[in-house]
Amino acid sequence: MIRLSKVKTDPVENLKRHAEAIGEAVKQAIKPDRITVEYPRERRRYPECFRGFIVFDKEKCISCFRCAQICPANAIQMEYFDKAYPGIDYAKCIFCHFCVDSCPTGALNTSKVHDVAFKSMDEMRLSARQITRVPEIVREEKQTVEYYVDRNVWKLVRRRELDRLEVPPKPVKVRERKAACTEPESCLGCRLCANVCPQNAIKVEKCEVSIGEEVTGTGCVLQIQTDLCTGCGLCVRQCPMQILTLEEVGE
Amino acid sequence: MMDVVSYLYETFSSNMMDIPLIAPIVDFLTKIPLINFIVALILWKPFFAVIIMPGLGVMTLYLLYIVWYERKLTARVQWRVGPLEVARPIRGAIQTLADGIRYFFQEAIVHREAHRPYYVQLPILAFIPVLLPIMFIPAGSAVGIYTPYSIQLTVTFIALIPITIVAIGWASNSRFAYIGSVREAFMYFAYEVPFIIAVISMIFLYSSGDAYVAVEKQSAIPGALLNPIAFVVYIIAMLMATSRLPFEIPEADQEIAFGPFVEYSGILFGLVMVLAYEKLYIMTLLFTILFLGGWSGPYCPLLGDLNGPLWMFIKTIVVISILVIVRSIYARYRLDQALRIGWTSMLALSIAALVVGGVIGVWLS
Amino acid sequence: MEYVLDIPVEPPRELRSLFIPIPPEYVEDTYKSDDFLVLVGPQHPGSGHMRLIVRIKGDIIQEVIPDPGYVHRSMEKIAENRLYIQNIPLVERPAIMDAPNFNLGYVRAIEEALDIEVPERAKYIRTMLAELGRIGTHLYDAAILAVFIGHTTGFMYPFGLRELICEALVRLTGARFTSSFIIPGGVRRNADESTLKWIYDMTLAMERRLKSFERIFVNNPTVIARLQDVGVLSREEAIKYGVVGPFLRASGVEYDVRKIEPYEVYDELVWDMPVSDAGDGYARFLVRVNEIGQSLSIIRQCIKEMPEGRVISDQIAENGKDIRGSFYDSLSNIVLPPGEFTTLTEGARGTIVFSIVSDGESNVPYRLRIVSPGWLYLRGFMESLRGERLADLQAIYGSFGYFPPEADR
Repeated sequence: MIRLSKVKTDPVENLKRHAEAIGEAVKQAIKPDRITVEYPRERRRYPECFRGFIVFDKEKCISCFRCAQICPANAIQMEYFDKAYPGIDYAKCIFCHFCVDSCPTGALNTSKVHDVAFKSMDEMRLSARQITRVPEIVREEKQTVEYYVDRNVWKLVRRRELDRLEVPPKPVKVRERKAACTEPESCLGCRLCANVCPQNAIKVEKCEVSIGEEVTGTGCVLQIQTDLCTGCGLCVRQCPMQILTLEEVGE
Repeated sequence: MMDVVSYLYETFSSNMMDIPLIAPIVDFLTKIPLINFIVALILWKPFFAVIIMPGLGVMTLYLLYIVWYERKLTARVQWRVGPLEVARPIRGAIQTLADGIRYFFQEAIVHREAHRPYYVQLPILAFIPVLLPIMFIPAGSAVGIYTPYSIQLTVTFIALIPITIVAIGWASNSRFAYIGSVREAFMYFAYEVPFIIAVISMIFLYSSGDAYVAVEKQSAIPGALLNPIAFVVYIIAMLMATSRLPFEIPEADQEIAFGPFVEYSGILFGLVMVLAYEKLYIMTLLFTILFLGGWSGPYCPLLGDLNGPLWMFIKTIVVISILVIVRSIYARYRLDQALRIGWTSMLALSIAALVVGGVIGVWLS
Repeated sequence: MEYVLDIPVEPPRELRSLFIPIPPEYVEDTYKSDDFLVLVGPQHPGSGHMRLIVRIKGDIIQEVIPDPGYVHRSMEKIAENRLYIQNIPLVERPAIMDAPNFNLGYVRAIEEALDIEVPERAKYIRTMLAELGRIGTHLYDAAILAVFIGHTTGFMYPFGLRELICEALVRLTGARFTSSFIIPGGVRRNADESTLKWIYDMTLAMERRLKSFERIFVNNPTVIARLQDVGVLSREEAIKYGVVGPFLRASGVEYDVRKIEPYEVYDELVWDMPVSDAGDGYARFLVRVNEIGQSLSIIRQCIKEMPEGRVISDQIAENGKDIRGSFYDSLSNIVLPPGEFTTLTEGARGTIVFSIVSDGESNVPYRLRIVSPGWLYLRGFMESLRGERLADLQAIYGSFGYFPPEADR
């Protein structure tokens, strides 16, 4: 524990303190240590993990709705084209990147853009088509600025080059999952799972029972085509008997 | 009628400034009948001293310069750049002009509870005690009205200025303006007595209140070295009088929301903002005469009579430019602490300066 | 000698016609006893978003009544409608620079409920984040103190130094301050070697620049004259009025949650707790300046001693280095067992209390209770203003570092 005592204020000490304060100001006036970044004529260089505008890759999306469900600000709305793709409302987005972290295939990625200007609130609701690439911004800068520190000094380092605003997408290493039914004899045959599957990978069929034979279970057969299944989990959430689950496959 | 004109022309041309640099142009213009009158008027020494230099003309230029310079210097100390965008090639030097033009376009609101005649007229009337001393302060051979009591008259007019500030706060009829006026009145008492005693000590030193005698006696050693105690007391009194940090108490921005000037907007606000800077200019002119040798400087034969005013102006600008750095170093004192400084330390120092001034004055004569 | 003038003074018209949140009898009583009321309101260059109703007699303050609540955003009610994991960006937004500490308190409550074991490397990264947030808040508060007593250079220097902290947070997490980086089970991403080396050098560069700040602001005679012996809270008064944090330590009480009930790795690192006996404004300011130095040394120790390993617990996700891809599956549907779970965290301005009440079945909290330090020491702040001059109101406000969005949540 450090004990701090009261500071002495006799005139000699005060005179020394006055001299130090004036000396510091005069030193800065003669040779300033400026740290001003003259935006927009120069742009700060940010690292690759910077949380900026979210970029969407249509090929990898499996329409699992996870990003829309996790968003704390309800900024993602799914729009239906051939499958359901996310559209982001940048008036609500808080750039927490929970959606980027939730996507199991890595379809959402970050970029370094942080200064897009919109003319009206309606323009800020971007549909899935508009977020497939980094938006067009007017770049007025001619150099980039970076903060450089070492044990003695903190200064700005300026380089006459432009910074790339797109970040190469990092692949997601998640074990592949496929849907599977845990208790086939409890299946009701409601076909909610078959209707919601974006890939049409589930087939529910009645099994043929002839008159006189005992009916075991509910009489339906559930079949999941695992090569079409992408593991989105929509059927798992829809099943009212909660008999579907995602199982990990692969090595 | 023509007698009056010719009489006036005789008075003007007998007392003209003699500047060898522009003498050929003046000689040429004197031959043209109407323009020679105007030229004689402009170069008439009292007119030149009061209106052009070191009077109103260069004071306007000084105002345009000092606000920008203060902001740039403060920004340099604070690791940043200051106003830059208005005229980028010259690093934003006409920022004050842009601000002034903006004030003209803003609405000057007069609120319902204000005493309307005083509220609107006082910022303009406040300039009378600020600008009158220019008539009496000489610069070289150019002076408005010659009097052997110029230093005393200047001090008297400077003492009248806080009354207008208190009246401005009173006319605003608002709670924070009232607190600001009371603080201004208290500060007035704190700095006035040491200030007057410091000036009197210099008058003792020169044995006269005449500015010409004061500058003559400083031909060998400047007044700052003859009486350094009065030098220090005068500088601190100048900081107190013009509400500069660390004594920015009547206009404390964070505590009482700009004090007596809280309700002003538009061009009226522009006027009250320059009041403090003009008071600083006048006090620095007096400071130059008393402590820095006034208008004496290396004589340049090309300029002739313009030497005096030019050197006085340059010295004033240099002193003010060094003084504005205090703004970025210190915080603001509390009212009772500033009063304690004024009534104990500064009063003691100024009485010591009086004694020193008397002794050296006897030794000099 | 005081002479009492028996002149009937009426309260001004605006205090009777406009809405003031104090009873009219109080206003009448004030004006009858020759005091008057000054409203230092929310739109004042010298107050945050809070109204203070000051009753002054001449220049001496008799009493101050606070009127907080301008920035109340009903955070606790909104939290009842969001999943546990969606509340993380919500609870870290009261005090913007102090976000890692708020984030840490909430996540620790969830981990205590679910009995999750956090890996060592994650604990070190979390401690580093918490200390970065603490330094940022102390610099911000020092700057606000400087601007309240008129020292504009003392405002610009700490905000410039805060840029270094924000840059460090960008390199670690990706966002400048409210980073939502701490999740139940660890942190979201791993920190790589170049980032840690940059942060190490940054602490050394910051110490050099802090010396300039000390020379021009902390040791400035006008600042000392303005803050010393102003707003004194003695040790008994500080305990009685419930003051927390560095303001309690400035009055002589040795209480710091990181020493009394250590969490994360605070008991394994070597650091000191600055305590002062004076209890005035300058002591409160000096305690915080010393804490900045201590936090910088804690960050350096964290970087040197950080072990290798996972950053996410294996109860949450399989990939221990990056939560990307499994964030939803592991964390969105957590259900806490029934009961109440409370944690104490040492934020920059004092003790933060988080309390989650869960009914055992739903995946949203039944009740989330946040008590921020600003709300705890508001009473002590008001009591320390009695008997001071009107000009000291801003100096004491700045020395307490009261931040209305944090106090009002």
